[in-house]
Amino acid sequence: MKKVLEARAVRKTFEEGTQRVEVLRGVSLDVSRGEIVSLEGPSGSGKTTLLSIMGCILTPSAGEIHIGGERISGNERALRDARRKSIGFVFQQFNLFPALTARENILYALGIKGHKGAKGEVEADRVLDAVGLSDRKHFLPRDLSGGQKQRVAIARALAGSPDVLLADEPTANLDSVVGVQILDLFRDLARSENKGLIIVTHDPKVRRVADRVTGIADGLILPEAHAA
Amino acid sequence: MVSLARKNLLHDRIRFAITLAGVAFAVTLVLVQVGLFLGLLGKATVTIENSNADIWIVAKNTPNVDFGNPFPETVFLRARGVPGVERADNAIVQFVNIQLPSGATENSLVYGISDPAYWNLPWKVEAGRAEDLSRGYNLIMDRSAVLRFGAFDVGDYRELGGRRFRIIGRSAEAESFTTTPIVFMDFGNAQSLLDQLNGQTTYVLVKVASGYDPKEVAARLRPMFPFNDVHTRDEWAAASRGYWIESTGLGMSMGVTVFLGILVGVVIVAQTLYTSAVEHIREFGTVKAIGGSNWDIYKILGEQALIAAVCGFALGAGASYAVRPAMANLHLTVLLTPQFSGIVFVGTLAMCLSAALFSFRRVALIDPALVFRG
Repeated sequence: MKKVLEARAVRKTFEEGTQRVEVLRGVSLDVSRGEIVSLEGPSGSGKTTLLSIMGCILTPSAGEIHIGGERISGNERALRDARRKSIGFVFQQFNLFPALTARENILYALGIKGHKGAKGEVEADRVLDAVGLSDRKHFLPRDLSGGQKQRVAIARALAGSPDVLLADEPTANLDSVVGVQILDLFRDLARSENKGLIIVTHDPKVRRVADRVTGIADGLILPEAHAA
Repeated sequence: MVSLARKNLLHDRIRFAITLAGVAFAVTLVLVQVGLFLGLLGKATVTIENSNADIWIVAKNTPNVDFGNPFPETVFLRARGVPGVERADNAIVQFVNIQLPSGATENSLVYGISDPAYWNLPWKVEAGRAEDLSRGYNLIMDRSAVLRFGAFDVGDYRELGGRRFRIIGRSAEAESFTTTPIVFMDFGNAQSLLDQLNGQTTYVLVKVASGYDPKEVAARLRPMFPFNDVHTRDEWAAASRGYWIESTGLGMSMGVTVFLGILVGVVIVAQTLYTSAVEHIREFGTVKAIGGSNWDIYKILGEQALIAAVCGFALGAGASYAVRPAMANLHLTVLLTPQFSGIVFVGTLAMCLSAALFSFRRVALIDPALVFRG
């Protein structure tokens, strides 16, 4: 399968006062279209930092990020363009805009990504339909359940058809039944929309849907455990 | 594109109301205070603006129209001989004591005019006729005199400068800058009130003939009267206004008031926008994470500032216009012109946008990675 997102020998060092903390120590990870990768590790292992770098939010201290085979340079404009065109994020805290309805949350994100007007509205309705929330599209986040909020967040990540979705602990704030539903939705969407999907998680249920499980500890990728 | 700025404002209505109140207060403060100032300045020149005189010949260095200084009454005869002068007449403006029925003595500002009807002084007569002023010891008193002199009726008598005058009419809008009530009478009667005015006048009013430029006629008059100043209507009005602004510190006082109004507006808008920006940090981080730039966030803050400016100005201007009748009942003129309102509107936009700048630096430093924090 063609690799859609790839981290090569990524290192990341943070300065904390006079100390330098090396969070990632030469990490390589990739995901292909239609593939789901589960990235597991204890707190402080560097998994969210790796997700931030692969999502072009942070720049690596060393190493490279490739999207669709093209290396992403470290300048702010290139990173922002990559986030607009190629990456969709799903967050543990949902991070929906509380003043906007479900549909408006998606329309706003589409506007940032350059999909405005009628084209954007068609796309918003499409992704809301894909996550099964067409009947809740005019609801504010406060009027949605946790699972519904995460569906809106997934729809927002899908909007504009990015190549890859990056999900940070997407089931952490959901009960187990809803968590399973969300994971099933991820699996279906990764297949039907042909997206690469990396899920950073502590949740063992993610293994149910993952094609590949990768462990990380102390800033290093562990040998692959097993695939689902 | 969905307006996150507008939706966020309406989502937090209490904060929005506080912002609007701050802007509206600042706008009202500036409009009413400066409107009062302009209204007061208008009184300083109301007789100059409404009289029929195109040129005023005054004693050398006379500072403003209320403080007329005497000079020989024959000057007007020489002025009449100058090409371009249609008519020139003497006029006296002097403070004269008036005895009130209560027994108190007050100051009145006497305008003694030769042919008052021609010179349009008084210009708004509610009772009586200006033409009758020369038929004996008569006067027309402005209605605003009620505040200082008490109630009066046409037909009443009052004593000015030791002489008994009959009130034959009532004028309106003739209010002086100093609030001293204005009394109109014939030039000869005014001249007879004070010994120092014997054979003297304090002004020569000049009407310029049709087709002549008042500035050119004034330039012809100046060399002829080296011991006088010759002003066109606009020059004399500006000099009278300038005297009160500069000599009384009124201009500085108004400047401080306007500055405080703007300061209040900037502080309130800046504070509420900044607090709002801090509370929406995670949202702005999300905007950056999904590909938005600092500019996208600046636009949100800028749009919120503009909305606050437009709505706050509408409220403040509405309150300022609404308060005018009540102020008029207190004999206070709040002069609000479309031009002045326009300037305040532009100032309000600038004020709110500059207040938003305080938040720009804060949001520029947002790390989009914060969206991953729990």
